[in-house]
Amino acid sequence: MSKKTLMVGIAIALLIAGLAPFLASSNPDGLESAAEKFSSAEGMDYVAFNSPMPDYAIEGMGRTGEVLAIMIGTLLMLVMAYGAGMILKKA
Amino acid sequence: MHIPDGFIPLWQCAIYFAVTVPFILASLKWASKEMDELKVPLLATLAAGIFAIQAMNLPIPWGTSGHMVGAVMAAIILGSPWAGVLLLTLVLLVQGFVFADGGITTLGVNILNMGIISCFVGYYSYEGFKKLGTKIVAASFIGAWLGLFVSALVCAVELWLAGTFPLVEGLYFMGLYHAVIGVIGEGVITAIVIGVVLNLRPDILPSERKVSA
Repeated sequence: MSKKTLMVGIAIALLIAGLAPFLASSNPDGLESAAEKFSSAEGMDYVAFNSPMPDYAIEGMGRTGEVLAIMIGTLLMLVMAYGAGMILKKA
Repeated sequence: MHIPDGFIPLWQCAIYFAVTVPFILASLKWASKEMDELKVPLLATLAAGIFAIQAMNLPIPWGTSGHMVGAVMAAIILGSPWAGVLLLTLVLLVQGFVFADGGITTLGVNILNMGIISCFVGYYSYEGFKKLGTKIVAASFIGAWLGLFVSALVCAVELWLAGTFPLVEGLYFMGLYHAVIGVIGEGVITAIVIGVVLNLRPDILPSERKVSA
């Protein structure tokens, strides 16, 4: 039973991940839109850490890179949360 | 609603970390008690699903977009707001470090807003409305909307304290955008997911388990 739950869940997550780059709006999000209204929030963005796949994309790979990036992230989340769950279950 | 690095002074970021860490520890304690054969795969798939759906920004008016947070949905499915805290902590860690979505210095405040405030407000509103006789699906819509809306207002206040946003306009725009995102991105998706689970696998929902047992 739990194996089936896992499989159905993974399938749904990967489906969303595969569709996201094609369906997602590239407009700024609520917080970014608000920030654009205020000059006090301009140019405050600085990089504290160099992420390997900024903005859910892989440099030079276009749309394919976006699909890959989100798929990798989704699988990484799955493994991390499963691992955390198993460790905490034993704890 | 992911606050990037640079929007909040470091000393204020430190305060938000100090507030947030005890909640994260409590969520780990919750998980160490609650995790079982069913909840581990649920936790894992919810983490993957929430990450994927957060990458899908839905268009709203005013040239803006927004995405689901998912903490309330996770809390309803796993039967505790601590589930949302734990999941959003994991999701925000990966988003911040791997995808530069949300800052690193602002991880504490982002976990506070999306993991803790949205989840506790949303989950307990859901529970409250259910006690008043509201149907589960409707209660999950209201809870999800309230969680997102209230956390957006808190976020506006934090950005005002940081000297980044003006107070009134900040509250206005954050409130306006997230009121709409809360309907399509949070409320509707949460209600649909809870409705589907309720119909196909009601045994998963803790509230339903108690009723049938």
